[in-house]
Amino acid sequence: MPTINWSLLRPELVIVSTLFIVLIFDMIDSLSKKVLGWITIVGAAIALWVSIDMILANKVGTQFNGMFEIDPYSLFFNVIFLVSTILVTLISLSYLGRDNKKQGPYYLLILLATLGMMLMAGGNELIIVFLGLELMSLSLYVLAGYFRESPASSEAGMKYLLLGAFASAFFLYGIALIYGATGTTSIPDIATKLTENSSSPLLLSGMFLLIVGFGFKVAIVPFHQWAPDVYEGAPTTIAAFISAGPKAAGFAAFIRIFMEALPDMEPHWNGVIILLAMITMTGGNIIAIAQTNIKRMLAYSSIAHAGYILIGLAAASNDGTASAMLYLLIYCVMNIAAFGAVILAKNADGESLLISDYAGLGFRKPLLGLFLTLMLLSLAGFPPTAGFVGKFYIFKSAVQSGHVWLVIIGAINTAISAFYYLRVVVTMYMSEPDEELEINPYPSTLVLGLVIASIGVLLIGILPTLLLSPAQNAIM
Amino acid sequence: MLLSIIIFLPLLGVIAIALLRGMGPSAVKGIALFISLLTFLISIGLYTGFDANIEGFQTNELLRQKTTWIADLGISYHIGIDGISLWLVLLTTFLTPICIIAAWNSIEKGLSGFMMSLLALETGMLGVFCSLDLFLFFVFWESMLIPMYFLIGIWGGERRIYATIKFVLYTMAGSALMLVGILALYFQNDSSFDFVALTQNGPFDHSHLLFLAFFIAFAIKVPLFPFHTWLPDAHVEAPTVGSVILAGVLLKMGTYGIVRFCLPLFPEAAANATTWIIPLAVIGIIYGALVAMVQPDLKKLVAYSSVSHLGFVVLGLFSQSHIGIQGSVLQMINHGLSTGALFLLVGMIYERRHSRMIVDFGGLAKRMPIFATFFLIVTLSSIGLPGLNGFVGEYMILLGSFINAVNGTFSIWYVVFATTGVILAAVYMLWMFQRVMFGKLDSTNESLPDLNPREIVLLIPIIALIFWIGVYPNSFLKPMKMSVDEVVKKVDTTQNTPAVGQLEYIDNTVEPLQNNETDKPMLINEEEQSK
Repeated sequence: MPTINWSLLRPELVIVSTLFIVLIFDMIDSLSKKVLGWITIVGAAIALWVSIDMILANKVGTQFNGMFEIDPYSLFFNVIFLVSTILVTLISLSYLGRDNKKQGPYYLLILLATLGMMLMAGGNELIIVFLGLELMSLSLYVLAGYFRESPASSEAGMKYLLLGAFASAFFLYGIALIYGATGTTSIPDIATKLTENSSSPLLLSGMFLLIVGFGFKVAIVPFHQWAPDVYEGAPTTIAAFISAGPKAAGFAAFIRIFMEALPDMEPHWNGVIILLAMITMTGGNIIAIAQTNIKRMLAYSSIAHAGYILIGLAAASNDGTASAMLYLLIYCVMNIAAFGAVILAKNADGESLLISDYAGLGFRKPLLGLFLTLMLLSLAGFPPTAGFVGKFYIFKSAVQSGHVWLVIIGAINTAISAFYYLRVVVTMYMSEPDEELEINPYPSTLVLGLVIASIGVLLIGILPTLLLSPAQNAIM
Repeated sequence: MLLSIIIFLPLLGVIAIALLRGMGPSAVKGIALFISLLTFLISIGLYTGFDANIEGFQTNELLRQKTTWIADLGISYHIGIDGISLWLVLLTTFLTPICIIAAWNSIEKGLSGFMMSLLALETGMLGVFCSLDLFLFFVFWESMLIPMYFLIGIWGGERRIYATIKFVLYTMAGSALMLVGILALYFQNDSSFDFVALTQNGPFDHSHLLFLAFFIAFAIKVPLFPFHTWLPDAHVEAPTVGSVILAGVLLKMGTYGIVRFCLPLFPEAAANATTWIIPLAVIGIIYGALVAMVQPDLKKLVAYSSVSHLGFVVLGLFSQSHIGIQGSVLQMINHGLSTGALFLLVGMIYERRHSRMIVDFGGLAKRMPIFATFFLIVTLSSIGLPGLNGFVGEYMILLGSFINAVNGTFSIWYVVFATTGVILAAVYMLWMFQRVMFGKLDSTNESLPDLNPREIVLLIPIIALIFWIGVYPNSFLKPMKMSVDEVVKKVDTTQNTPAVGQLEYIDNTVEPLQNNETDKPMLINEEEQSK
């Protein structure tokens, strides 16, 4: 029985403890449920602080017989997950309503999903990655269908469950085949085994099954069909959550497996990744143009962003990985905030989800207009926002690896995406409203979340070094 | 430091307006005007502190600043000016307060947003002209799109949304390629985006592709035929002030990009590309003029005349002769002044009559004599009447192209055709002037008031400069001489290195002429001027 260095597992332990506190708190009827969300935020914030502290102190090591790796890479991803969790919880507080009885399981599931993501990022063993994936996915299936009385939400949950289970099966089958080819599921061991015997059909099929599995999870074209339906039907906060943390977790495991376990197979997978990156960016952006529902538009935009991140993986270099990590963090913040602004626009009888509902909003609700405009500009990659820095770094690393054509396609896609992002801005500022929409007063917690995100997006846009160096150090 | 203050002072104004806009419209206008005037006054310090004897960028600490920005990626905050950007910076700071005065009473909704966009745009434009780091340049280049997008999209005319989206998408499509070019250069520049280092690091691999990546982005902005289709839409739909800024400064960013990046960084590719760029420029000159001639809409007429005028600028730049490039840089300023003034005048008449159709007017000279006088001066300046600014620029451009055409760089016929553009300009401008100002006064126009003091005040500085450049261009040409020399040196050396046997004969005969030309460009010009 190996000794366990508990101090290395502090972020995970904090989340587990928070989870139990939420669970117990929820069971005791006499306690006010108002604070559940805040407990979640505080727990996630402590875990975030611990993770940052561990990055700064450079605390690394492996646990559980080398099955779980704590390195700057996984810690950086912890930061992404925890920032996403905090932001999503902040925008959820008012969305769920203060006296909603069902809050307990909601925050519990968010914390469980976060724990699953942390397992995925740190998993040094395909089985652990799979466990993390399932822990995350099962929580998300429930969350997507959380509004049981709404048919759309139930449909979203069911759809997500069926397609997600399908994807998990692909993933598991891929693990099995790779195990068959190499005799191990440990990521470092696979790499050493590969140097001895190179490509066998078994290994190749296992690898491509993994790509399919991950492709579903992070919504890459052509495995993306679930995403728009789920985003549209799921509660908006959960759509924000699914689009952020889980995507980052999927990429965390994706990049680790392909860069650490299968680097010798690069000639085999690189072409596929390049192709997937191209069709994902282009497909996502072109279909997004046709959307009239803002949640669906954001769904396709998040598909396109998965394509940009794949460019970082296609670069297959340290810089490429660092750029993908940086982009994921930036993307999570701006995407959650964009969904948050959509929630802010919700009116008395529900949410205004059609882009045409936003007509004239910019002048009537200047604060909301400002937030949404800033986030959309950042998603479109305009300087001086963080979105530009992220995209620039990804393109730079891809040019460095010689993928100039990929970058040209990426750059053209940026121009395409500007069209539909700016169309929302056009509607907000340049169209006259058809009818006066009643808009609720701003919930302070939601505004707080958006303010934090806005400051982050501008700060990183102007001083990218704050994040760039940690991302680079996480790889070197 | 001075330069940073000039660049970011307008941004400070944006923040000030955002915080103080509760104080009412006059406060907003006051802040905007104060900030823009202050920026202009400080920017005069650039001229007084400018040392015309320095080759390349000014080294004075006030006019040059370099600070590490993103060390991991080799990006620095490096700004500076030379004799070319000096004038464009001054043009920007000069036109912005004029625009604010012009918009004094014409903005009904969202005044604070309008002024904020205008000032943010000024920061973006100044940043573009001062950046000596490719990353910084790109940041300003892209971020300047956003305020312009709002200016056209919110305060524009009927089809403003179509126009503004077209404008943004055209520019973005071009800049997407430029971004790839910038990245590719970065790896050939010891992983740095520094422009000054870049100028010493050439020639680059794949220079032809890199040249294209940059050139297309700039050609869209200029706009060079056939990339010009966004321009008439944007101009017609933009509010008056938007058109002034667009014509006055934004289009210059394209030609500035050519002279700053395309020519010195890829001289060989630029020399090869002359064979197709010169024809495009000449087509632009004639096509723009012909289309302008048949426009029923005053604003559209001026917009198409821009296509024609900027064709001249591109022609001058790619003549790759000292006098031609100098003429082009001067013509950038001239065009900014004359076309800016034309848009202002068209805006003034539109505010009174709510029509820009030429048929709606006639005989205005009787009713509005002051307006007619200003309009005449600006029209003549746009045509290129000797004694006014347009003549000097166009003359130098044609002379420069003619010299190089004689040298055999390109066919002399192109210059001949380009010269007809001057005649065509007289045709469409004077014809327009005649239809608007003379003839029978329509009864609906009888009550039109003449210019008010505010409008006169904002036009007078422009008119003064129009005469100044026309009569004594030397005060403008002298500071830019060394900087243009730098460009010509880059272009020339590489042009001569791969000289094939055929060219030798020509080179020998021409050398004295070229020397003469680089030594005394001002003299030649002044002599012609005095004739």
